[in-house]
Amino acid sequence: MSTPENRSGGSDVATFKTAEKIILRWDSATSEEAKENLIFQSGDREEVDRYLRAVDEVQRHISSISISDEVKAANSTIQIAMARLEDELRNILLSQTSTFEPDSLLLDSSLASSSSFASSLEEDNSVIDCDGNEEEQRIDLILPDGSDSGSSRLTRSRRSSSKSTSSIREIDLVSPEAVSDLRSIAQRMIEAGYSRECVQVYGNVRKSAMESIFKQLGIVRLGIGDVQRLDWETVELKIRRWIRAAKVCVRVVFASEKRLCEEIFDGIIEETCFMEIVKGSALQLFTFPEAISISRRSPEKLFKILDLHDALTDLLPDMEEIFDSSSSELILVQATEIQSRLAEAARGIITEFENAVFREPSVVPVPGGTIHPLTRYVMNYLNLISDYKQTLVDLIMSKPCPGLKCTNDPNKPDMDLTELEGCSPLSLHMIYTMVMLQFNLEEKSLHYKDEPLSHIFVMNNIHYIVEKVKSSPELRELIVDKYLRKLTGLFRQAATKYQRATWVRVLNSLRDEGLHVSGSFSSGVSRSALRERFKAFNTMFEEVHKVQSTWSVPDTQLREELRISLSEHLIPAYRSFLGRYRGHIESGRHPENYLKYSVEDLETAVLDFFEGYPTAPHLRRRSHQ
Amino acid sequence: MRPAQDNQGSFLGRISIRRNQFVDVNNEQEQEDLELFQKHIADRFTELLSPPSQQPPSDETNTVASVAATDQIMSVTWLRKLMDVFLCCEAEFKAILLMGRDPTQISKPPFDRLVPEMLDRSIKALDICTAVVNGIDSVRHYQRLAEIAVAALEQRPLGDGNVRRAKRALANLVVALSLEDKENVSGGGGGGGGGNKTTERSWSFGRRSGGSSAASKGGATIGQLKSSSWSVGRNWSAAKQIHAMATNLTPPRGNEAAGLPQPMFIMSTVLVFVMWVLTAAVPCQERSGLANHLPVPPKHLNWAQSLIGIHEKIGDEWKKKEKKGSAGLMEEMTRMEKLGHSLIEFADGFHYPAEKDAAESATAQVAEMAEICRRMEEELVPLQQQIREVFHRIVRSRAEILEVLEQAGKLSAPVV
Repeated sequence: MSTPENRSGGSDVATFKTAEKIILRWDSATSEEAKENLIFQSGDREEVDRYLRAVDEVQRHISSISISDEVKAANSTIQIAMARLEDELRNILLSQTSTFEPDSLLLDSSLASSSSFASSLEEDNSVIDCDGNEEEQRIDLILPDGSDSGSSRLTRSRRSSSKSTSSIREIDLVSPEAVSDLRSIAQRMIEAGYSRECVQVYGNVRKSAMESIFKQLGIVRLGIGDVQRLDWETVELKIRRWIRAAKVCVRVVFASEKRLCEEIFDGIIEETCFMEIVKGSALQLFTFPEAISISRRSPEKLFKILDLHDALTDLLPDMEEIFDSSSSELILVQATEIQSRLAEAARGIITEFENAVFREPSVVPVPGGTIHPLTRYVMNYLNLISDYKQTLVDLIMSKPCPGLKCTNDPNKPDMDLTELEGCSPLSLHMIYTMVMLQFNLEEKSLHYKDEPLSHIFVMNNIHYIVEKVKSSPELRELIVDKYLRKLTGLFRQAATKYQRATWVRVLNSLRDEGLHVSGSFSSGVSRSALRERFKAFNTMFEEVHKVQSTWSVPDTQLREELRISLSEHLIPAYRSFLGRYRGHIESGRHPENYLKYSVEDLETAVLDFFEGYPTAPHLRRRSHQ
Repeated sequence: MRPAQDNQGSFLGRISIRRNQFVDVNNEQEQEDLELFQKHIADRFTELLSPPSQQPPSDETNTVASVAATDQIMSVTWLRKLMDVFLCCEAEFKAILLMGRDPTQISKPPFDRLVPEMLDRSIKALDICTAVVNGIDSVRHYQRLAEIAVAALEQRPLGDGNVRRAKRALANLVVALSLEDKENVSGGGGGGGGGNKTTERSWSFGRRSGGSSAASKGGATIGQLKSSSWSVGRNWSAAKQIHAMATNLTPPRGNEAAGLPQPMFIMSTVLVFVMWVLTAAVPCQERSGLANHLPVPPKHLNWAQSLIGIHEKIGDEWKKKEKKGSAGLMEEMTRMEKLGHSLIEFADGFHYPAEKDAAESATAQVAEMAEICRRMEEELVPLQQQIREVFHRIVRSRAEILEVLEQAGKLSAPVV
């Protein structure tokens, strides 16, 4: 048997024996000491090197021998070494699992996200909280049932128009020293054909670590059923938290986990390990948005759904980078599916909103003809939509489908889309919503018993719509001038209708016709007819003053304009009537019964109009002739 | 005057009642559709109960004839067929429910009760799908342990080292396969205990004190099973979920039995049944009493015969397994467990060189284990994909039904 081969291997055999001895010394199945101690975490780097060299030596030996008994023996040694290394691997990993500090990450990310809450903005009644204090930023939805007109409003945080730019940020989940140890172990296990064990151990420990990171990030396990049972307010809060957590999760945790796998393994195993670790977590992470994406739709959900949609849109490029293998495709697919379902939900909500605006059923007239809560609500809602323009312009691809064609509702107003050619579908939807609103308001105006008040109501509300559009640059961009001009025409028309309905009758009493006694040309004025006229005017004016002082035109400028226009008709007519006929009355008995008001009295009285007084002030008469 | 008016009133009332009872012109067509639907359900489940190409599956004593048993109830292949059956039934049902139907019809009584119940069931089914997909990941984990054992035991010559390696993997495997859900969960829930674990040593393998006790010694093995992470809620329970899905599931009576409530009942029964089978098949969170939670449809219903047959088989098996603890009834897992135990026995008695008989029977068992692994490798991922498809289908149908209800205007509460 003394072949040259064997002789030259003589020293090899000796080294092998030494190596075997080292390995057997650390066989925890036979030695108490070996069981109690660890090689890598003892701090004895020399022992570590010795052990690794021993493993290499046995490996080398195996590849050089062919005699079955020797192979068998060497394999046995290798098995002992691998079991040892597996334990060492596990313990190194376990000792490293607590180094993750999500607090600092969350803090960073909250800073980053708060800076993305752009500060410019003022929505009536809303204060923007710029320090990202999430409790404060909530959308407040109250049904405009007409009972509490002041409270129907939407408060919100203005979204940033620029998308978040932060992206992947890797951190050391495991210390660099540990990484190098892990790598040495992994390499040897793989070389010896123990890659399955290696993946199992590595995967299991990192998976638990991932679970505790999730816990620290506040990502709670919630089933779809659980989410459906939560009230929307809670869900909103969770959405906000989820977005923050998901960003950390994808960009920091998953990215770092992937890097760690890359550092320790190469090739296929690296990918297998990574998926083994993150698959469950990723699916868990996405259960929440998944639940949101299939929940029942309602208007108040739109904005948070869009936030979620945008967050996913933001994350997807990073996810594509992280989950770039065929085995991780399913995570990407799931996220993409959720994103498109959220988009679908947003589209659905907008269409349903249009219908809801059209159908909103309250019939109790708003006192004083002021702004209907529905108008406020819808306009604030549209205003919020315009904040999400960037997202929605891409999401809303089809035009609204007005009229009988799609809705089967014969009552539904038609809208001529050809007039608005060149508008984006989003613009069309917003305009269409306003058409629905306008239509509904006109319906509501019919419930006023007082015809002029119904015009004031229409005027007020349409004017409010126009002002609302004008005051928001974002909204202005979406609502074409053409439509705005049409609305302006509408409220002017309502104002004219009001004047006609109220004042034609009053002014009629100041006409010359019918005062002159027939046949007599010069001074044939019938005093009794004149007295009746003055009495009629006084009564009518008093009545109108009494009633219309309680009416309300909340917009100061509009109110002012309306009064001016009213005065322009009334005052000159009264002045000239008074000038012409005062003499006839004064020469008779009890002129004070007929000449109750001076021109100045009326001018002052007009100032009471549309103030929305709960009870009308008495019409003062100062004139003592 | 008055009586006349009353008459008219009741006359109108009668018309509306009649409409609710579907006594309308389309009735005959609808009846035909319903009968066809029931027939298809019956056919599909009959095929699942006894696949045509094979002799009826005998009980598990004949495990060695593994290759012939691909279609056996609860095998991966069979589960995949079950998913196909579900998808077919669902598609057909949706056509019956929604196609050409006046939206207002399904928002009227009794549908104002039946439809929301059905939608609620579908949400619960979604969570079960997620849990089952996770459960299948655990099965993949068993598969990998089995693969280690196979790889080690296929070595020639077979030495101590190989056998020890195989034994460790097998010990982990049989522990995993026989674990109660609760243990699994508490193991998984301990994820946060990562802090504790850093302080104590963690050993994955036993001392050579050997014997089959290796399995029980695997204190650290449980640590390995922490892998089974559940994506459903913490207190979520598969058994409770199934129970909740089934509670308000009662066969329609009287007039309703002839109309749309009938296919709704059938489809819901199929849904609950399929979810029940899945939760029984693979590891799933909290399943105690699972066997009792499935209401059996009345035996006289033709379409239900085979379904009941399958239910009984699986139910019996579950009751047997529940006592001693089992990760799942998937046929491959059951065989894997059996092979695992028997190979551990072989490994325990192993002395080089192995006895000829023992070696031969071990070789056969290793081959069978390898075959199971191969099948799992081929079919588990597709099964997961099918379950995901079921998930999507349920989501889509739910959305469509909600949309119809929306049209009917019933759900659009004064939105703003």
